[in-house]
Amino acid sequence: MTSAAARTHRAPQRAHPRVFLVQGEYWVSDQAGLVVSTTLGSCVASCLYDPQARVGGINHFLLPHGEAFEGPDAVRYGAHAMELLINGMLHAGARKDRMVAKLFGGARLSAHLPDVGGSNAAFAEHFLRHEGIAYLGGSTRGVAARRIEFWPESGRVRQREIPNFDGEVLRAERRPRPPAPQAGSIEFFED
Amino acid sequence: MAVAANIETLIVDDQRSTLQLVRSSLLQLGFKRIRECEDGEAARLLLETVRVDLIFSDLNMPRLDGLGLLRAVRNNPAISKTAFIMLTGRTDTALVQEAVKLGVNNYIVKPFNLATLTKKIEAVVGPLT
Repeated sequence: MTSAAARTHRAPQRAHPRVFLVQGEYWVSDQAGLVVSTTLGSCVASCLYDPQARVGGINHFLLPHGEAFEGPDAVRYGAHAMELLINGMLHAGARKDRMVAKLFGGARLSAHLPDVGGSNAAFAEHFLRHEGIAYLGGSTRGVAARRIEFWPESGRVRQREIPNFDGEVLRAERRPRPPAPQAGSIEFFED
Repeated sequence: MAVAANIETLIVDDQRSTLQLVRSSLLQLGFKRIRECEDGEAARLLLETVRVDLIFSDLNMPRLDGLGLLRAVRNNPAISKTAFIMLTGRTDTALVQEAVKLGVNNYIVKPFNLATLTKKIEAVVGPLT
């Protein structure tokens, strides 16, 4: 499964319901008190919020990279990940022209490897500009991993840097890469 | 053989990024006559005055969605034969089935690459030159 998995159902009814988001997922909610948290290394999390509808959404994506993912395919994958989040927001009652955004993540975790995090952050910034979604800021690039918490109903975000992260972040980002963009497994037409 | 440069094409999607990606892919395939609309209603109005041979439309859009646009096209005798390819997400299976019932010519699951786009277009209009 390459595309972000939708996790938009209601969180368990606890005093302070909490959801942990992993790479490739997104979450949209208007549930008061709900917190969505995620840990970011070179991945980026886009936090979108419609202040009038009080609906928020967050994704956690890593552009595919490597030989099989030259520029255009990576951009297609990223644009699709963002589109899923935006569509989820629209279905929950948000309007695109009211959405504002904050971005987090995109760290360069190793000076000896390509700056994948920088590419992720640049893509997300460009996407927001291109779609006309106001970018309120956030915290991107740098060399430290981050743990963020997002309250979808208020749009609030809290970040904590993880300066001396152990293998947790790298393990999360070394999950199997998404396969190359391709048509789905269902076919309604003969090719 | 279909001459890509002669095909009047319309892309309909509320995401400007997707519009740009589809446009750049079509340009690579030799298409030259490409129009864009950001929702189904704008496309429906455009189709009242402009001849289009091939429509690429997203499913989820404000005002008039892809199914609504497809229905409007198929119900208008003047344009009912227009080739229509739906751009969908992986979770839209039920909507794609609905589009098939309405007479969509083919569909493409996002994110897609150039090879897939080519294959789907050629399945509808024939080999491109």
